[in-house]
Amino acid sequence: MLSLPLVGLPWIVRLNGQPHADWQQFLGRFHPLAVHLPVTLILLVPLLELAGRRKPALREAAGFVLGLAFAGCIASVMLGYLLAFGSGAAGPGVTRHMWGGILLTLCTMLCLLTRPLWAVSAADKGYPALLAITLILMMWAAHQGGSITHGSNYLTVYAPRPIKTIVSLGSSQAKSDSFYAQHIDPIWDKKCLSCHGDGQVKGKLRMDTFEALMMGGKDGPVIVPNKPEDSLLLKRVTLPEGHKQFMPAEGKPPLSKEEITWIRAWIQQGASPTVTHLEGISIREQRDIPLEPVGDYSALQPEIDRMKSVPGAKLLTVSAKPSDGLILNTLDVVDSFGDAQLAQFEKYAPYIVEVDLARTAITDASFTTLAQFTHLRAIHLDNTSVTGNGIEKLAGLKQLTYLNLSGTKITSESAARLKSLRSLRHIYLFNTPAQPLAPAAEARKTS
Amino acid sequence: MKQHPLCTDTEHELDVSRLALPAEVLQEWASLQTRRHFLGRAGKVMGWAALAGLVGDRSLQTHASSPKTPAGAPGPDELKLPHFAPKAKRAIYLFMSGGPPQLDMWDYKPNLAAQYDKDIPDSVRGAQQVTGMTAGQARFPVAPSHWDFKRYGQTGTYVSDLLPYTSKLVDDLTIIKSTNTDAINHEPAIMLMNTGNMNAGKPCLGSWLAYGLGSMNDNLPTFLVLQTKLNPKQDNQPVSSRLWGSGFLSSEYAGVSLRSAGDPVLYIGNPDGVDSATRRQMLDAVNQINRETYEEVGDPETNSRIAQYEMAYRMQTSVPELADFSKEPQTTWDLYGEEAKEPGTFAYNCLMARRMAERGVRFTQVYKRGWDVHGNVVGTLPQLCGEVDRGCYALVTDLKQRGLLDDTLVIWGGEFGRTVYSQGGLSRENYGRDHHPRCFTTWMTGGGVRPGISYGETDDYSYNIVKDPVPVRDFNATILHCLGIDHNKLTYKFQGLDQKLTGTTPANVVTGLLA
Repeated sequence: MLSLPLVGLPWIVRLNGQPHADWQQFLGRFHPLAVHLPVTLILLVPLLELAGRRKPALREAAGFVLGLAFAGCIASVMLGYLLAFGSGAAGPGVTRHMWGGILLTLCTMLCLLTRPLWAVSAADKGYPALLAITLILMMWAAHQGGSITHGSNYLTVYAPRPIKTIVSLGSSQAKSDSFYAQHIDPIWDKKCLSCHGDGQVKGKLRMDTFEALMMGGKDGPVIVPNKPEDSLLLKRVTLPEGHKQFMPAEGKPPLSKEEITWIRAWIQQGASPTVTHLEGISIREQRDIPLEPVGDYSALQPEIDRMKSVPGAKLLTVSAKPSDGLILNTLDVVDSFGDAQLAQFEKYAPYIVEVDLARTAITDASFTTLAQFTHLRAIHLDNTSVTGNGIEKLAGLKQLTYLNLSGTKITSESAARLKSLRSLRHIYLFNTPAQPLAPAAEARKTS
Repeated sequence: MKQHPLCTDTEHELDVSRLALPAEVLQEWASLQTRRHFLGRAGKVMGWAALAGLVGDRSLQTHASSPKTPAGAPGPDELKLPHFAPKAKRAIYLFMSGGPPQLDMWDYKPNLAAQYDKDIPDSVRGAQQVTGMTAGQARFPVAPSHWDFKRYGQTGTYVSDLLPYTSKLVDDLTIIKSTNTDAINHEPAIMLMNTGNMNAGKPCLGSWLAYGLGSMNDNLPTFLVLQTKLNPKQDNQPVSSRLWGSGFLSSEYAGVSLRSAGDPVLYIGNPDGVDSATRRQMLDAVNQINRETYEEVGDPETNSRIAQYEMAYRMQTSVPELADFSKEPQTTWDLYGEEAKEPGTFAYNCLMARRMAERGVRFTQVYKRGWDVHGNVVGTLPQLCGEVDRGCYALVTDLKQRGLLDDTLVIWGGEFGRTVYSQGGLSRENYGRDHHPRCFTTWMTGGGVRPGISYGETDDYSYNIVKDPVPVRDFNATILHCLGIDHNKLTYKFQGLDQKLTGTTPANVVTGLLA
């Protein structure tokens, strides 16, 4: 009986994307708050049921908790509906979340109905199965809700690369190298899609594809090619902050000056989805590779501290964060620091991210040692007597971005053996026999 | 260890009861600890406690700190610095004392030519109080720059004809046209720029860096200052050692100024008849006496003295090696010019700054005086630019080709800018420019900053800033950021305040300048 109005609600009162009364929104905004109550309660039920095997009192409590969860579900659905109806939210994400909530409430109710049967005879498997479905449904519905609030990429945006690749495999739309795909679309992604995307579609504007963007929203087109001053989108994001129509609304982070400059230039120059370069806008490549944390070297810390208190080579920390790694500093003892001395640092090898061997007595023999320093990002070998013999051993240093060989005897042949070092961005060959190669090396530098 | 004569630290007092003594002796000792004894001691302890409260907590920290930091302040290890992985490990600050005229060098205002000799509109100048040097002037006529500007580099940045060398660098520079200061006269302005405060007594940028980041090479000072020889034809404002002073920080963090003529450090060489071995012997003996004193008294200042003697001894080798340019190849002289062979010239100091960067000096500040062009801009400015232009170019280019620019921050700037209106007579041939704090141009390059940009904009008269102002405190906060320091966290308790370089007015790192 109860389920009918619940399931029928979307047909009785349609979500038409128009905002309605303020009181609805006022109450509705408690939905994100209230919704956590049934979520927690539902999670509690299976725990209580399992724990109830040992302590029957807990199992008795499960029934009560389930009842509470059901009541919470009803309240959340009502508030959620008020929120969506009141604020005029619509879109596939909203619809999914709505049905998720309704189905979840129904499932909870069924659980509540089947539980007494199961309590009488444990052979009745209907309740456990329903409870499992309820849990899965809840996770899905909750995720839909989260995507509406925070945007669908909220969970993955800071994920490590491998996870990102896995996640994007399904929807891998080869990212073109157009200015739009590289620089403009990511702005929408970051600042706009949580309200104008797959999840919610406020003001009937979707910005998740180029075509949808150009179709505009309820006030017509938002981008007018070549006419930034007529483009509603640019107008709304450049209003004074706090203006009623300012976008992004609701205190979400505004666009940066740079982003606005890019959008303006992009519209000015035709708002094309394919153009790869815009006149007057130069964007430097993101040069920073996120630092990979080194392991825990706290056991070696006493020795590192001891080194600091006596003259000699030292291990300095990159920053206050130990996982940023160590720097081998030999500036105090350049004359007496040779291959043997470097070899003594092998036990610190995985924790050292930079070695400064400039002007030391190091020779080619040290390439073997250096190859053990797997976390190295920078090697300074300038003004040493290395000739590059064995330099290919460094090819295993996957994180090496900086290699300074200035003032050494390195030849162009040995320099060429570094080609396989893909991560390398800065290689310095000033004042070496290899210098004729320098223009090529320069070209590899992003400066 | 013997007790310090002033020490009433009962916790670390010799505990007689634990000594291996006959039981009756111990008992006698215990019985001596009478009530009167207790009261007598307690009174004294209360007095010391009150004194400790009066002198503040610094004197108490002294005991806890490592012997390397004599003032009782936390050393770099305890400070937990850098706060985050830095882009730059070291910095070189080319300081143009006197206030270079931005309008004739960097801030191109082509529209001013049409405004020649017209008064600047009141709306531009507003109610600003000008200096006593021009306050009496009947009018403030616009003096357009005498020099042409051309576009350079891929970025097409406008630079004046006065800078034929530096203009080649524009694609690597981060030009800040909206630097502005609160002070209109030299001394307060130069103090503000260097120490973050117009009043003397605060540590300068270099001292904060030395204090916070520590040394990379124990054979050389962490913070070195190079002064350029005076050109008597220029209007030289004084530059005093408080600009590189350490203020309330321990004096070991003060800049060490190398002399521009003769030995870079006085008495660096051994006197006649004293060879290195004799010197070593003498130091060993002195050190032994000092160590005994430390054992006896436990004052960390003694250890710091030992460290200073040792540093001086090592500098006897490291400084001559640093100042020995004989092994520099011809390419160096082709780059810096023959002038760089003459000690004390700006070019020489630039080359020296590069050699210091190679040897791990944390902060080098090069001073060039004479930019105070109140009159005869047309006569003096080409001279000034001629002196520094090639040096700046050579230094940046040299650091870049040697791979040092990746982790070195180079900063160029003065204490304020100069006015658009002429001080004194204005003619087609010549003019003067007064102090102007509201906007001036500085530049940075290297580790941490974004190359090839011009940041901030001034109005048509280069008088007021219309976009993205960078006040001195933000400028300094940004420099610290490049070196891995959160300017709000590098503090030192003094006079009841957590003192910091950027002062008490909220300062921000200018993210638009960052790479």
